[in-house]
Amino acid sequence: MPGLRNSRRRLIGTLLVGLALTGCGENGSLISAPQIEVGTALADQQALDRQIGASPRTLDPSLATDVASQHVLDDLFEGLVTLDQAGDIVPGVAARWQRSADGLTWTFQLRDNARWSNGKPVTAQDFLYAWKRILDPATASEYAQALGPIINALAINAGKLPPAQLGAEAPDAHTLIVHLVIPTPYFLNLLTNMYLAPEYAPAIKQWGEAWTRPGHMVSNGAFMLKSAVINGNIVATKNPYYWDAKNVHLTRVTYHTASGASTVSQYLGGTVDWTDGFPANDAARLKRVLGSQVVHGPYFGTAMLGFNLDQAPFKGNRKLRLALSMAVDRVVLAKYLNHGLVLPAYNLIPPLKHYTAAIPSWAKLPGDQRHALARKLYREAGYSKAHPLQVAMTFAAGNAGTRQFMEALAAMWRMNLGADITINNLQWKVLLQSLQLRQLKLFWSAWIGDFPDPFTFMQLFTSGFPQNHGDYRNPAFDALIDRAQHTVDPTARYALFTQAEGILNHDAPYLPMYFYEASHLIKPYVKGWKSNVVDRHLSRYIYILEHKGG
Amino acid sequence: MLRYSLRRLLSAIPTLLVVITLSFALLHAAPGGPFDSEKVLPPQIKQNIEHAYHLDEPLPEQYLRYLGQVLQGDFGPSYQYRDTTVNDLIAQGLPVDVTIGGWALLLSLLIGLPIGIFAALRQNTALDYGPMAAAMLGISLPSFIVAPVMILIFAVHLHWLPAGDWGGGSPSHLVMPVLALAAPYTAYIARLMRGSMVETLSSPYIRTARAKGLPLRTVIWAHAFKPAMMPLVSFLGPASVGIISGSIVIETIFSLPGIGRYFVDGALNRDYTVVLGITILYGIAIIVANLIADLVYALLDPRIRYQ
Amino acid sequence: MSTPPPRSRPLAHATAVTEAALTGADREALAGRSLWQDAWRRLRRNRAAMASLILLGLIVLAAIFGPMISPYDYYTPQWTLLNQWPTLAGGHILGTDNLGRDELVRVLWGCRISLMIGLVASVVSLSIGVLWGTTAGYVGGWVDSLMMRIVDILYSVPFIPFVIVLLVLFGRELILIFVAIGAVSWLDIARIVRGQTLTLKKREFVEAARASGVGGFAIIRRHLIPNLLGIVVIYITLTIPSLILFEAFLSFLGLGVQAPMTSLGVLVSDGVADLQSFPYLLIVPSAFLAVIIYCFNYLGDGLRDALDPKDR
Repeated sequence: MPGLRNSRRRLIGTLLVGLALTGCGENGSLISAPQIEVGTALADQQALDRQIGASPRTLDPSLATDVASQHVLDDLFEGLVTLDQAGDIVPGVAARWQRSADGLTWTFQLRDNARWSNGKPVTAQDFLYAWKRILDPATASEYAQALGPIINALAINAGKLPPAQLGAEAPDAHTLIVHLVIPTPYFLNLLTNMYLAPEYAPAIKQWGEAWTRPGHMVSNGAFMLKSAVINGNIVATKNPYYWDAKNVHLTRVTYHTASGASTVSQYLGGTVDWTDGFPANDAARLKRVLGSQVVHGPYFGTAMLGFNLDQAPFKGNRKLRLALSMAVDRVVLAKYLNHGLVLPAYNLIPPLKHYTAAIPSWAKLPGDQRHALARKLYREAGYSKAHPLQVAMTFAAGNAGTRQFMEALAAMWRMNLGADITINNLQWKVLLQSLQLRQLKLFWSAWIGDFPDPFTFMQLFTSGFPQNHGDYRNPAFDALIDRAQHTVDPTARYALFTQAEGILNHDAPYLPMYFYEASHLIKPYVKGWKSNVVDRHLSRYIYILEHKGG
Repeated sequence: MLRYSLRRLLSAIPTLLVVITLSFALLHAAPGGPFDSEKVLPPQIKQNIEHAYHLDEPLPEQYLRYLGQVLQGDFGPSYQYRDTTVNDLIAQGLPVDVTIGGWALLLSLLIGLPIGIFAALRQNTALDYGPMAAAMLGISLPSFIVAPVMILIFAVHLHWLPAGDWGGGSPSHLVMPVLALAAPYTAYIARLMRGSMVETLSSPYIRTARAKGLPLRTVIWAHAFKPAMMPLVSFLGPASVGIISGSIVIETIFSLPGIGRYFVDGALNRDYTVVLGITILYGIAIIVANLIADLVYALLDPRIRYQ
Repeated sequence: MSTPPPRSRPLAHATAVTEAALTGADREALAGRSLWQDAWRRLRRNRAAMASLILLGLIVLAAIFGPMISPYDYYTPQWTLLNQWPTLAGGHILGTDNLGRDELVRVLWGCRISLMIGLVASVVSLSIGVLWGTTAGYVGGWVDSLMMRIVDILYSVPFIPFVIVLLVLFGRELILIFVAIGAVSWLDIARIVRGQTLTLKKREFVEAARASGVGGFAIIRRHLIPNLLGIVVIYITLTIPSLILFEAFLSFLGLGVQAPMTSLGVLVSDGVADLQSFPYLLIVPSAFLAVIIYCFNYLGDGLRDALDPKDR
């Protein structure tokens, strides 16, 4: 998942710490309710005010693409499986599931008591309806390709096959069978997302596009939509028909759409209980003043710079690219500029359970040795003080933090190499277009993982991939990735990815900078959440402790 | 005068048409489209979307289609907010801006006018310099400084007022946005009024009136006020539309769901229909406001005659 | 209109002869005082205006020479000196910013850029607006309607896409930012000037000038424009700060000066984000901004009082 802009406009992603599946077998129908100690005093008003960082573009699961939508839809809808507080997969509408030995067929048994917010039962057909709807070209969904692993999905979306041909069927109301193209280890993660949520056909047929309005919408999650104002607040109330309703404590959730500096003021002023991030510059002061209310933890995303490999000066000049990479003092940037809120990155894949990252050897060198090596490569690449590298580095406007980072980078290259790199701040859409037209030589290019698997990052560097903005083409790399995708054994698969990362480290088609962290301010009386790498916190687990003013 | 007004309003229609055409052309000339995103859409999906929104048609055809819709009162769907129409957005956002802008305009007139006149009467004394210096502060400190400071003091430290949100328009939510929005306008009006009043008071016929022994109050209200108001009226025409049509800064800092943010976000995200819809609204408002300003002008200065 | 009869020559000859016979001081007394000398004299007496003029001069000097003599530059980060509070004990008098750069130098650079933007954009704006407004107001009739209609149209055209297109099609040169800002801000002046022209048109001295056969454009130049100067000057001094702030707004949207170059607007909008942790990052540039705006305004007022033709 890309993250070219600031984290407010990330596309959605399912991020897990570890692999979800452990071979075929049953999963118990656990109810992941928070274990509240006996005697804990709960507030009378179980209402949460949380910020989601931006106004959702839409509340239609088939059309939503942004993180803000996901936060709201996580509470309004529930898929076959869902996430617990730690971000691990637990049963959702499906109580049990089985995977075939070759990994290509999944069977789900839905629970009997799953209900829509109007009391009607949730059936397997509701899932099929929704999936066909998102694939239907007439719906014009921007995220349809996420269903790619399902047989015929892409062909249906291309209009070549009718939706009835989708590789999934519902032999009865409570059984769903899905057929995949290749074994997809992260398939369960995909299922937690809004694009695979079920939809209630009668409401859509009756209201058309307006079915997402409060009063029209029928949803199956722990909450239902009460009111929604674009750029204002969205209010959801508890869904009494939700199958786990007795364990849901909150009666009302208000989603605030403010962003930027006002988020902290609203938190301190008491308007919200939970922020989606906070400015890095404020970190020191906030930690001093708020202590443990400042929460931050790892996030499955990498910030990097892209090189245009089709044009000078980076075309065919591996040494130059490496020199630039080596000359960046990542630890200094992470520690000082970002106030410890990011992790320095020397490779592509952020920290992932069971995965061994391939780190280049020069990463361990002390600063002066690294700089000396960088300068040597810089000279060998054909540049010097008399003939410095002159190129523009481009990023998207509107984010002071990114801009400062760019300024820091340019200064580092000037100090360490003598390179003359100018900063070019383009408006967002202009940047996107320039990227697509391959006009940019050096550009900001962050990526947030769509699912907790190295493949989502590796895709970026396969030949011809739409987001391969640098146009990196290495047949050996492509072959390795293809092999990995057809490998069933997880350990072997990961080892192949590590190898592939090694190739990237050698070729340096990009410049890794840091791994993201998810940061929040959370009031001490808000409980029932855990820091997780997906940064998804479902309101169904959250409860409010008794507190002054609450 | 009535004929003049009617003629102005009728001739507003081609004006509006030119505005729409120019805006349409400008928007489409700016690089990037509404569905360009970080996640580059596969060609098939891009085609689907563009077809669904008629963006794959040649520009003149899109233009005519849009005009046809507008004539029926339909401003089209929003590309950014996929299940919302522009009409919905305007219906949601306009009341917010009219409320806050209206109060702000009222406040700035109520405070700015008297201060300006008063300062003009006490020209070059401390009672002139003092208020004018204060007014200067209102102009020199932009709202994106004043507003966060207000929030810091009144919401974060004192907890007297909410730190933001529309809150359905409840008074406590209105106080800070209205004050922040009104401050620079109050300052402008005070200064403009003072300057204009000073000029008017030193004109020959005023001096004649005073020499004749007329009381100061009569001189001011009967003779000086109207001509002194003229520059103010010129200023207020577009300014009143500006203050009501939404200040993006105020809306962003106080998290208000107003039109200003829809407009700017729309322009930045190439949400053509939203920008065009609000532009049309804005255009109509400006035309009407300017007409009113000109009519008031003629009321104030009997020497001006419109043929 | 008929050409005026040549009446100046014999008198001019006589004056020249008389002048030649005078001594220096007498010559000065008799040579009479021009409008501008009068104005300057009046301005000198206005203490607030003079103080503003001097203060502005100082700021301009500081903005030009300050960065040259300072040991710090405006773009090199100092990692161990991030966000230092202002201290008189040597080094960074006004502290350092988020990248450890000297705040004083940054603010002086910001003054440079902001002043340039304000000045140049004002001149662009003023030129277009005054010419447009006086012509429309003076000529009247359908020309007036047409010209004001164009103003109405331009008012309603959304300026953000226009500025985006302009800046993108022609690059992000500083010059272009001035032009873009100036090009969208002449409308207010045109409107006000046209209104004033309508009023002035009917006044006595214009009628007198017309009666003595002075040509239309000459009337505009010689009579209308000096009379409009008062209002225009006030408006300019109100516009320069708003142009500076408009540039800040553009920067906020990503269309302003490119980093690491900075302007007061950029410094202020960045400073707001740091308000709670490092208030001096907001106070310092805001103070400079406020002082500059105050000075322009008092100067503008002084100029207006000085140039006011009614006192003659």
